[in-house]
Amino acid sequence: MSLDLQCIRECVAALFMLGGAVFFIGSCVGMLRLPDFYTRMHASGNSETLGCTLSFIGLVIYQGFDWTAAKLICVFLLVYMINPIGSHILGKAAYKSGHPVWTLKDYTPEVLSKEEEH
Amino acid sequence: MIFYDALRQVISLAKQKVDDSKIVGSKYLQMSGTVLMLFVFWLIMSGGDMHPKFLFYGLVTSVITTWLCYPLLLVPNADGTRLYYAFSVSIPKAIQYFFWLMWQLVLANIDVLLATTAQDMMTKIDPKIIRFKFHADNPLAYAVLANSITLTPGTVTLNVTPDGLYEIHALTPGAADGCLGGDMQRKVAWLFGEGNCNFEVVNGEVAA
Repeated sequence: MSLDLQCIRECVAALFMLGGAVFFIGSCVGMLRLPDFYTRMHASGNSETLGCTLSFIGLVIYQGFDWTAAKLICVFLLVYMINPIGSHILGKAAYKSGHPVWTLKDYTPEVLSKEEEH
Repeated sequence: MIFYDALRQVISLAKQKVDDSKIVGSKYLQMSGTVLMLFVFWLIMSGGDMHPKFLFYGLVTSVITTWLCYPLLLVPNADGTRLYYAFSVSIPKAIQYFFWLMWQLVLANIDVLLATTAQDMMTKIDPKIIRFKFHADNPLAYAVLANSITLTPGTVTLNVTPDGLYEIHALTPGAADGCLGGDMQRKVAWLFGEGNCNFEVVNGEVAA
């Protein structure tokens, strides 16, 4: 019986971590596909929020609710408080130094196909 | 020697005169709250080692750290008439806000993930800079709002001016509408106990 419960717990933990991995991969895909600096910053937001949350929930379930799990939750809360500050500083530095903001006006299919030829 | 210089500097900071009448809320309640928070953090980090000697060390360390750091945790408002304690949010409200924010994050994450992995990505995204004005007396409200907006995928706070103008880069039309809708601004104003939410959308270019 105890073995069965452990098996179920590990499966649930694996599912949560797999869900986190989906968001990490989505973040990578966005990073490669999006056109400029500011939009790529949004792609990283995917992994640092839901990817991180699901991975940490999976780890806490896998670990069981003990002191190590409490430490994991502390790390998770710190990531939530510190990560936006890093993104904000990057964005602010680019914005203040006059980095051009890419909009849909800059996009025409011809330009993109020309870039792909190079 | 560097260590002693740093220690002397911190102690001089702790001893600086703070005008107690400007502090919002009770000073001793806030200090005991800080001690409790630090002590719980100590307990978690020490991994459940409940030997009385370590508990005593932890308590003494928490008290000394609180005594040194309490003046640093007081943030003045814009005109310097009040001092706000950095963790002066009510805990039930903070927990409610955290779960509301988590739900917003789930929605925004799925929105951004679908937009960036779509075959016709260029029809789904519309990167642009949006602006709005938000005013609160508590300076922590500005920081929490900017942090929450950056944490939500699809919106990044680029700049906050001292008079409360937020400049935000939005990736998808949905993210821009959600940010200008004012839900998050109202929630932050409610979290910090501001009576009414001073929030207005700014259109067009603003002189930098």
